[in-house]
Amino acid sequence: MNCHDFEKLALALARNSLLDATVRDRGLIHTEVCNRCAARLAQERALLARMRAVGAEMAGEEPPARVDALLLAAFRAQTAATTSSTVIPAQGRAGRWSSWKLAAVAAGILILISVMAILWKSTSSRMPQREERVVAPTPVNTPGPQAEPPVGRDQVADERPKNLPKRVRRRAPVKSQDEAEVVTQFFLLREGEDLTTLDSLQVVRVELPGSALGEVGLPFDPETVNEPVKADVVLGQDGMARAIRFVR
Amino acid sequence: MTKPMVPSDAELLRSMLAGDEQAFTALYGRYKGLVYRFALLMSGQASIAEEVTQEVFLALLHNGRRYDPERASLKAYLCGAARNQVLLLIKKERPYVQLVEESDDGQELPIAQLISGDDPLGDCARNEVNRLVRQAVLALPARYREVIVLCDFQELSYAEAALALDCPIGTVNSRLHRGHALLSKKLRAAGLDSAPDAQVMRCFA
Repeated sequence: MNCHDFEKLALALARNSLLDATVRDRGLIHTEVCNRCAARLAQERALLARMRAVGAEMAGEEPPARVDALLLAAFRAQTAATTSSTVIPAQGRAGRWSSWKLAAVAAGILILISVMAILWKSTSSRMPQREERVVAPTPVNTPGPQAEPPVGRDQVADERPKNLPKRVRRRAPVKSQDEAEVVTQFFLLREGEDLTTLDSLQVVRVELPGSALGEVGLPFDPETVNEPVKADVVLGQDGMARAIRFVR
Repeated sequence: MTKPMVPSDAELLRSMLAGDEQAFTALYGRYKGLVYRFALLMSGQASIAEEVTQEVFLALLHNGRRYDPERASLKAYLCGAARNQVLLLIKKERPYVQLVEESDDGQELPIAQLISGDDPLGDCARNEVNRLVRQAVLALPARYREVIVLCDFQELSYAEAALALDCPIGTVNSRLHRGHALLSKKLRAAGLDSAPDAQVMRCFA
């Protein structure tokens, strides 16, 4: 073996990772006759020892408990998401309630969904109408911005123009907030717990199937039961979920 | 007396994906340190290491079914995922990251100091040496740093490192050679010889 060949082996020799015993022996024999290669091997071994010392020093370094808690919560949320559609009817309820009661509850939920859908439609269709009502008296179609409030309107109309720009300005952010996010109240997941007594809390945004709404008594559409809904989950220091709210 | 059966990674992963919390805890406990320390050594920042650990295991939760145990060990798979995350985060946070090679002596260390033991003076010297080694590793180009962290610090085999880095074993070998040469140079520059007569670098007689 010459020094060039030895150079190729130096790292593996230092790491004791050469599987071929013959090659290893030839390399080691070479270091006995070549001081430079012996020094090279010693240098590699020393470098490796330094790195292993750092590795050993760091052996105890692990992610902090909050990472563990967050991941555990994510795991639980995901498990709940994949199983809740089957778990909800199975968990206790079916055992405690007779089938006619379940049917009645299901019918009630369906009615509630229909009512909610109608209300939803009417409120969403009312929103632009309100806009129009507010905007209608503004002098948009009138010749100039300096135009005074339209003459001949009723008293209410006469009193409004000064306030109109304010209202329009006020409504704009309300609309954008509506577009951004609508959240429900927080629902406690452990009955009777006082969250204010906890030292620290974390809120994690997760996605759950639509059926999760039913867990806290909110109505959900059975047809979209598997469609994800966003939710904010409040976690305690122990990583356990304490409260939840839904986001739309 | 029979030896208790230790479930394999593949078994744990299967159970975890089926919703077994104990399997998740066991798998996470088995590899959280590896992923965290890899990210810490690669970035020098605990915050990045935490984020990487989170992202890697979240990805395993969401996409664990894509893992093919016949292609790579879970260890290599997780290291590969961690490597991608670290590089992404380092790139993203570059404007905000205090580069260790640019820091002065008095500046805050990117990695937490370790607690002193019974021999404060010896510990101090050892800590100083280890700190210099870590700084020298952090100052290496990423392609050499990652291979050194995997093979020398985490003690992965060349084959596992090749799978984690998605490159041939020969590339791992050559990068390790080059990385060691650069590291030795940096350590000497920092006043730390890696061997008594470290001036002799190579011999092609």
